[in-house]
Formats: sequence, C-alpha cells, structure tokens
Amino acid sequence: MTTQNPESGDSRRDQVIAGEYVLGVLSADDRRKVEARMVLDGAFAAMVNHWQNNLSSFDDAYEPIAPPPQALVSIERRLFAEQARPAVARDGFWNSLALWRVLTLASVAGLVTVVTFSSGMLTPTNQAKPLVAELTGDASATINLLAQYDAGNGALKITPVAARQAEAKSLELWLIEGDNPAKSLGILPQTGEGEIIIPLELRSKFGAGVTLAVSVEPFGGSPTGTVTGPVVAAGKTRQP
Amino acid sequence: MAIDDISTLIGRVSLKDRAAFSALYSQTSPKLFAICVRILKDRAEAEEALQEIYIKIWQRADRYVSGGPHPMSWLLVIARNHAIDHLRARKPVANTIDEAYDLADSAPDPEKTAINAAEGRRIDNCMNELEADRADAVRKAYVEGLSYEELAEVFGVPLNTMRTWLRRSLLKLRECMER
Repeated sequence: MTTQNPESGDSRRDQVIAGEYVLGVLSADDRRKVEARMVLDGAFAAMVNHWQNNLSSFDDAYEPIAPPPQALVSIERRLFAEQARPAVARDGFWNSLALWRVLTLASVAGLVTVVTFSSGMLTPTNQAKPLVAELTGDASATINLLAQYDAGNGALKITPVAARQAEAKSLELWLIEGDNPAKSLGILPQTGEGEIIIPLELRSKFGAGVTLAVSVEPFGGSPTGTVTGPVVAAGKTRQP
Repeated sequence: MAIDDISTLIGRVSLKDRAAFSALYSQTSPKLFAICVRILKDRAEAEEALQEIYIKIWQRADRYVSGGPHPMSWLLVIARNHAIDHLRARKPVANTIDEAYDLADSAPDPEKTAINAAEGRRIDNCMNELEADRADAVRKAYVEGLSYEELAEVFGVPLNTMRTWLRRSLLKLRECMER
C-alpha cells in the first residue's frame, strides 16, 4: 500500500482496491489499511472519493424505513450523558490487552490536539502565533495528546492524556506536506512525558496547513522510515 | 428535503445545536436506517448501528465541508461505512489486498461504447456495458454488503472467479466513466 506511478499497472490495482473498498467487499483489516493510506496518499484518497461519488446512485435502492421511535432517545442519552463524564479513558485503557488489537484491527479513535508555535523566523520572538491541529481518528475509544512546539529550541513536547501502555508498540508522529511522503518526527514517548526534538531541516516546515499524523508502529518506530502501521489520528495545523 | 436544508442542519450540529441534531435525525434517519437493515439484515443490530452512526454524525459534523459533497451523500457514506465495518467485524472475511490481482485487459465492446458516449457518463450507462450477472454482482456487493464468498455462492461460481468478475468490472466501470 504505497503510492504508485499513475501510469503503471499498480495504478489499475489501486483503482480496483479503492473500488473494492467502496463496494464493501474487503475484510476489516484491509479496510483499515485502505483508510490509513487515504490519510497519507492524496491521489489514492481521490480515487476512493471518485468511486464514492460514482457508485452513490446505487443508494436509490435503499427504500426509507422508519427507525423505532425510541432510537433517538437512546442516541441522545448516550451522547449527552457521555458528555457529562470525563472525556478520556477509564483506568487501565493503555494496559488493556485488547487495546493494541483494537489499534491494529479496528479503526482507532483518536482525538489528538496538537498546539504548535509557528517558526520564529516568520514572527518576532515572543509573539509567535500558536498553531492548532485536532488530529481525529475514528473509533469508540479516545486518545488525547497535547503537544506544544517551541520554535526557539525546536522542542515538541507531547503529553498523552492516557499513556501507560506496556505493549511492545510505539506511536510515531509524522509530518506530511501536500502530496509529499510522510516524514517521521519521532516516536511519542512511551511514558507520556517527554519531548520530541524536531530535526533542524524540518523546523521550517511547521506552518499552518501541514498534516500531522500518528501511526502505530513496532516498538521503537517504523523499521522502514515510512508509515507501516495503521494511522490512528491525523489532522491539519491551523491558526486557532 | 432540499440540499441546503440538510447542509444547514449539519452546520448547526457542528456547533453542538441539539435541536438541529434532532431535526437532522428525523429528516434523514429513515434512509440511514434502511442502509443498516439492508446490510446487517437484523433489526436489533441495525438499530444499534443507527445509534452509533448518529453519534458519529454528532461528533464529526464539524468536518463536513459545505459546498463539498452532497450533504445527504456525506451522511450515507458514514452510515454505509459503519454498517459494513459492523458486518465485517461480525463475520470476518479473508484479507485480499496484499495478494496478486488478476487484472488482465479487456477490450470494450465498440458498439456499446458508442451508445454510452452519446448518452453521457452516468454510472448507469456504464453498468449497462457490463454483462448482466456481473453488473448484478457489483450492485449486490454495494447495496447489501455481500462479501466475495457470499457473492460466489449467490451466483454459483468459484470464489476466485467472483473476485475476477468484480475486479475486472471495476476496471471497466472506471474506464467507461473516464471515457
């Protein structure tokens, strides 16, 4: 699942995989792989959207059926009762045996808030404007990450709100500019407290509109230097 | 229901407007419930899925881009994806995308091509270029969420034949739509 030359036979294969995804014939595992790739590969995501648009006329086959009257009540109770509770994770979330299976096999739920500060080269020091990205994944559980980027020393401090995982997996942070391949920014600290020092050559790339993504990788990070595991959260930076 | 109305409701839901959420639900849930029932084929599961879908809609409304996809399509995609995910989790199927794909070229029928070009590029026209049983398989996969295994059984062909049918049909459709 990597970006292919548009003229190659692999592009035909990509078209078919994108179509299979929209038809719904793929396995749960394969669906997660497709979704992870959509986050990182704009051309591939466009193929999927294309199929979505093209095949949507089949939706006419769904004759409306009134849902049971109590359904809305249940939805509102689940939604608005849950809002009153603390947003994150019950105790033991990161230690849950099921967690990494969930991360790998199902799409994960992530709400990751990243606060960064734009490069000091563009603004006078002490007046750096913050950038915010809400990195949102998809699922029932929630990961909250808070990150602060100090343009002065290039330190990106990441604090997962619920981070005590004992499993041999790492969360890796990626920077994606437009259609360029994802560049690794480093491994999120296993302990939940610590900093990622952004490589000098990447510091100038921190600005509004770049994509930050988090993927699940083997312990210690991607063995290949590119994203290998499912992307659990992604979002664009913007001025808050 | 006018497009603008649904679009406006989604916009208000993104601002956490509960009345708008309720209105959006009453106007769109019969269609979304139909998707759940058709794909999951079980009323209780369909209702559970519908609840989860509207929870997602509430949470994701701020990601709807007005002027982007048709607002109803946006809702239907969320619903279909959720129902398919639910189904594939309940009844796992084989992983396939890392295997070899048999995608031999197939020459389009020139006569049908001409008809299609004259009538425009709607998917329905392109579906007419496929052999009837293959078009039927494509439609059943989408509408009912049937797996390759189930489609092979319904159409009485080997599993690999069904995979080849669908994949080549997708290529033909893509080629037809882009013509």
